Amino acid sequence: MSHDLALVWLAEAAVFTLVVAGILAERPWALGATGAAIVAAGALVRFVPRLGTTLAGAFARRRPAALGAGVVLALALPLALRSSPYWTFVATLALLYVTIGQGLNLQIGTAGVINLAGAAFAGLGGYSVGLLTVAAGWPSWLAVLVGPWVAVAVGTILFVPILKTRGHYLALVTIAFVFIFNILMNNLEFTGGPQGIKNIPTLRLLGHAFTTKPVLAGVELPSHANFYYAALVMAGLTTWVLRRLHDSWLGLALNTLRDDEIAARCCGVSITRGKLLAFSIGNFFIGLGGAFYAVMVGFVSPPDFDFGYSLVMLSVIIIGGVDSIPGVVLGACLLVPLPERFRFLHEYRLLLYGVVIVVMLLYRPQGLWPAQVRRYR
Amino acid sequence: MALPLTFAASILVTGLVGVAAERVCVKPLARASPLMTLLATLSLGLVIRESVLIFYPRGADPKPFPQLLPQGGFEVGGVAIRYESLVILGIGLAAMVAVDRVINRTKMGAAIRAVAQEPEAAQMMGVNLDRTVDATFFLGSGLAAVAGILSGLYYSEIHFIMGITGGVIGFSAAAIGGLGNVYGAIVGGLLFGVLQTTAAALIPRGSEFRDVVAFAVVMLFLVFKPSGILGEKSVERV
Repeated sequence: MSHDLALVWLAEAAVFTLVVAGILAERPWALGATGAAIVAAGALVRFVPRLGTTLAGAFARRRPAALGAGVVLALALPLALRSSPYWTFVATLALLYVTIGQGLNLQIGTAGVINLAGAAFAGLGGYSVGLLTVAAGWPSWLAVLVGPWVAVAVGTILFVPILKTRGHYLALVTIAFVFIFNILMNNLEFTGGPQGIKNIPTLRLLGHAFTTKPVLAGVELPSHANFYYAALVMAGLTTWVLRRLHDSWLGLALNTLRDDEIAARCCGVSITRGKLLAFSIGNFFIGLGGAFYAVMVGFVSPPDFDFGYSLVMLSVIIIGGVDSIPGVVLGACLLVPLPERFRFLHEYRLLLYGVVIVVMLLYRPQGLWPAQVRRYR
Repeated sequence: MALPLTFAASILVTGLVGVAAERVCVKPLARASPLMTLLATLSLGLVIRESVLIFYPRGADPKPFPQLLPQGGFEVGGVAIRYESLVILGIGLAAMVAVDRVINRTKMGAAIRAVAQEPEAAQMMGVNLDRTVDATFFLGSGLAAVAGILSGLYYSEIHFIMGITGGVIGFSAAAIGGLGNVYGAIVGGLLFGVLQTTAAALIPRGSEFRDVVAFAVVMLFLVFKPSGILGEKSVERV
């Protein structure tokens, strides 16, 4: 049905336009008009009979086309945001949170392994990149590839025994681990103490530094566009890999042990091995996000990885939907840019994250985009 | 006399805030997984801390805490002992004994233990679940307030972030002592303190790393004796 296709593309173009307009609108009337348009669009889908289900059906039938158009629009975003380069940076940050959120979602959402040390594992990735490039002189790309493995190794060695314990112990130990990490980074000599590690060299591709502005067919893109595209590839690959993993037998086994450890063990699922696998794979992607952050920003310091950021990462998956792969993408794309849009709220950012988590847990614990039951064909 | 009254009021208010927190974000989640309760209370903690930071005048700065305890001290065999420390130690011990009495000797205590073991059966025996849970949160939050006041008296300053490390250390102490045992918390707390102080004394620049050492030992404890020093091993029936 070709009108499905038109509907899908129209809906995606509308969302894209609203997002760009929402980001770029500066004058009060423009902002007001955009806000009104967003509210109107929401009301339209919500209240026009059958529009919502028609749209959902069209998206379900035209998945490849919908994904393809989504990729095209994601590629076009820096072009649309040319007039305000900072927003390309924010969009890149949102993509980093997609990567980190997917890793954390595998741990907390899929396997029920409560990791409140997301910030510390991202920090391990970031600090590894800093040390490997600045102190050991490695090329940045190699450091970004090795950094996440440091997070995996530290997580595995420290937490293997604790993964066996039940209840809140693991959550407690991960909180303690964030504090340990911060104290160590603040006080050790070789990590630069409170100043952190500065002048981390940027990524290079074929002799082309990522910090130079890319020129595409005569159009100059914002300076962070290189990182944006790299982060887009990273977040896309992460989401794809973890989607596959979630839908595989392993994802199902992890769900089982999350829901009932004793029943899972009776069905032959090894609890420790399952938890360890989820914990390590998750830490890889969390560390990858931290490593990418280090080369993008060019420096790392302890406050970038304190406990508050663990809770930000957590709110990404709670808002999106625990154990929901598309939910994490939605959560990161909402939670990271919104406080930037409303800069006057910046001071209240963490406060709002906390309120949002509590309210979501109370009134919509399944998240904005709830996890679907797997359909096997 | 005004200051002790203020302290009493603060303990009372904190206890009530604890009850309110339980009503808002613990009770509605009773049917969800325990994880959700943990996340909700942690987030509520974040909200409270950030509120102090933002809404209290100059909330980011440490605030001076009034002095109440006698200053000075004496020396026994080369060890300097401050009167303050003795008073704080005494109050801490008294609080523990009081909690033990409440938990093990009163009707409310019996109800609390019954609910902890099996809420449904406890209700069938005539325990008022809501009131018992309220009482637990009042007691727990009030004790946390006592700890906060003692900490303020000891360091003569308070800070909006002081609670979170304290909370994690408190949970760690209770865990290594054995959850569910009042005296376990004392043993665990003392052990944690001894570890911190030993680390600070023995390791070069140890005062910065004392929490690292203490938490590391807690992790080891959870590995080798997850039930804690005084805790009993639990057997789960399906």
